Amino acid sequence: MPKVTRLFIKSGFIYLFLGIVMTLVAELPQVNTSALLLPVYWHMIVIGWVTQVIMGVSIWMFPRRKRSRENIESVSALLSFWTLNTGLILRFSAEPFIPLFHGNSAIVLVVVISSLLHIAAVFFYVIEIWPRVFTREKVKRKKQ
Amino acid sequence: MPAQSVWIIRLSLAWLSLATLIGSILLVHKAVDLQPAMWALLPLHFETAIWGWAVQLAMGTAYWIFPRHLVGTKRGPEKLVWWVLILFNTGLIILLAGYLHQSVLPLKLTGRGMMTFSVIIFGISMWSRVKSYSSHTN
Repeated sequence: MPKVTRLFIKSGFIYLFLGIVMTLVAELPQVNTSALLLPVYWHMIVIGWVTQVIMGVSIWMFPRRKRSRENIESVSALLSFWTLNTGLILRFSAEPFIPLFHGNSAIVLVVVISSLLHIAAVFFYVIEIWPRVFTREKVKRKKQ
Repeated sequence: MPAQSVWIIRLSLAWLSLATLIGSILLVHKAVDLQPAMWALLPLHFETAIWGWAVQLAMGTAYWIFPRHLVGTKRGPEKLVWWVLILFNTGLIILLAGYLHQSVLPLKLTGRGMMTFSVIIFGISMWSRVKSYSSHTN
């Protein structure tokens, strides 16, 4: 299993744990976080866990044309991991406070950077995976 | 990887890109009001992320990786899976149009209907491939 896959999956487990704890906290009668934490724990589970596991496993399992070390530990896959996780940390640290400090320039800056990092993460992931989605016939044709 | 899986997975990557773009715009909109009508994009974000990306990627990967038949066509009726791809994605586009455009036509119902039909076809074509080579019965 490549290093980047391990990073994606382990980070995914952390978000799954945090997400499930948040859903538990949100259920406590003394805590009224409803609208503030709802998008946070949904994204922790859907992006933090589900999407990261899909990304990690696909980077590991999808076929490679060449099995060199640079291909297995590719820069685009690592960039996808780091941009996604930096974006998620920034998002989760700012998103619950948006309704409380609406329009605050520091919050806006963090949110904009986080959004751009999310887009960058998907861009790097697509760059990594797209060339690895091919038919066997195409490879045979290229070899001939 | 079969050609059907290649295109289903590529489309799922395209839907992921769109879902992320919409989600990012909505996140920024939450902090700085960009346009009041922007929240109309929220259901598009859910639908593209869940159906377009996650579900479709799982379908494409399952069609590629599940045990193949030992006799006849390796992955079952191949043309049917092209129809799955066409119906699912056209249905999703019609569904999204239904969210954005108030029409006399039942766009959302039509879109969901096409997606449901495509998933039924996919289930039928994949059912017999959910098996173990070591078992003689199933």
